[in-house]
Amino acid sequence: MKKLLLIIAIGICSNSFAQGCSDAGICSIGNGFQTTDKELKNGIEVGTIFGAGEADVTYISPYITYTRTINERLSLSSKITYSVANGSFGQRGSFGDAYLIGNYNWKPKTNTQWSSLLGFKIPFTSSNLKINEFSLPLDYQSSLGTFDLIAGLNLNYKKWDFNTAVQIPVFNNNKNSYFKEFSDTDDFPSTNLFERKSDALFRTTYTFQTHNKKFTFKPNVLFIYHLGEDSFENAFGNRETIQNSDGLTINGNIIGAYAINTKNSIELSLATPFVVREVRPDGLTRKFTAGIIYKVSF
Amino acid sequence: MKKIVFLLPIFLLFISCEVEGDLTRDAELSTPIPENTPPVATGNFMPTSGIKVTGSAKIYLNGNQNEVRLEDFSVSSGPDLKVYLSKNATPTDFVNLGNLTSSTVYAIPTQVNVSAYKYVLIHCQQYSHLFAVAQLSQN
Repeated sequence: MKKLLLIIAIGICSNSFAQGCSDAGICSIGNGFQTTDKELKNGIEVGTIFGAGEADVTYISPYITYTRTINERLSLSSKITYSVANGSFGQRGSFGDAYLIGNYNWKPKTNTQWSSLLGFKIPFTSSNLKINEFSLPLDYQSSLGTFDLIAGLNLNYKKWDFNTAVQIPVFNNNKNSYFKEFSDTDDFPSTNLFERKSDALFRTTYTFQTHNKKFTFKPNVLFIYHLGEDSFENAFGNRETIQNSDGLTINGNIIGAYAINTKNSIELSLATPFVVREVRPDGLTRKFTAGIIYKVSF
Repeated sequence: MKKIVFLLPIFLLFISCEVEGDLTRDAELSTPIPENTPPVATGNFMPTSGIKVTGSAKIYLNGNQNEVRLEDFSVSSGPDLKVYLSKNATPTDFVNLGNLTSSTVYAIPTQVNVSAYKYVLIHCQQYSHLFAVAQLSQN
């Protein structure tokens, strides 16, 4: 226990080395690849993520995930997110998205295990939450308002995991109506009727455990490439590309898990980006996140 | 199953439904218009089907700034109402002047040639539904 406290303290005190994540959905996609427990058919994960974003916006984002193991190869997960943003515009919170993910583990070979996932993200809002009828930038929205297809592939090799995935908006229901011209700040770009491009992800994770298997650590590096420039509709009704909103984000992340017993565990996750896109109109701008997660299998 | 029953209320407690605080950013204040300033154009609002509206839209030149002022105005509530200055009676070629709020003054961008726009529209952007139209006539 002392070791855990020490590691947490080091992580918090040196957050430039701690992990962070800055894109919705695709960031936590690696979890969907986790090997399903062969004996316990159900898993519930409850977590809360604290995040600090651009300007002075902070976030508290709880979520709940339920995973059902269908057989030794196939499992299904559903996740519901919620987010409250606080900043100079005020406080706004709502349900975010629902995720439905199927994970298939291919036949294991010596030292290697391939798995793949396919799923959808379904938004609960059209990304147009307001305060007192004042439109808010995407940094304050709990969802981007897009219906996304998520597909991924994972290779587990000994203590290493390599996963790659794409998140493709297949139907855009973003009805955001924020114009920076109508607010009193240049902190956030205009995102009226925002249209977002796809993301591609690559993550490498190294997993190691203490001898008693009580503590597990998963440092990982996450590369996210935003595959095009996003756009919005300007005040004259014309679609305008947001220059330099495409490109690479590199996040560092460390997860520390403590197994209370064979069925219950607690995780701490710290994350921060090292490289970010020049312009991030989608509000996926976390410069630091810290999450605490409780997992139970039954 | 007991655990689900236990965890679900905790999660619901966490989220406690939707949160909307107060707007902590000051809204832009409009400059008062000198008395007896005549409007550049005026028009009375007419509703579309199923909508109630009263009042008029007037365009004033206030210093170097053209602005739309709504007078004696009220309209059926809608989730995402905008004020458009439009070339047509439908929102096809328009300038979005912002959210319809309790404010009655909407600044028109300086690059807009006001004489080319003949209508003020109240339009729900989120559901693409036109609420009211005021046809402007030059004074």
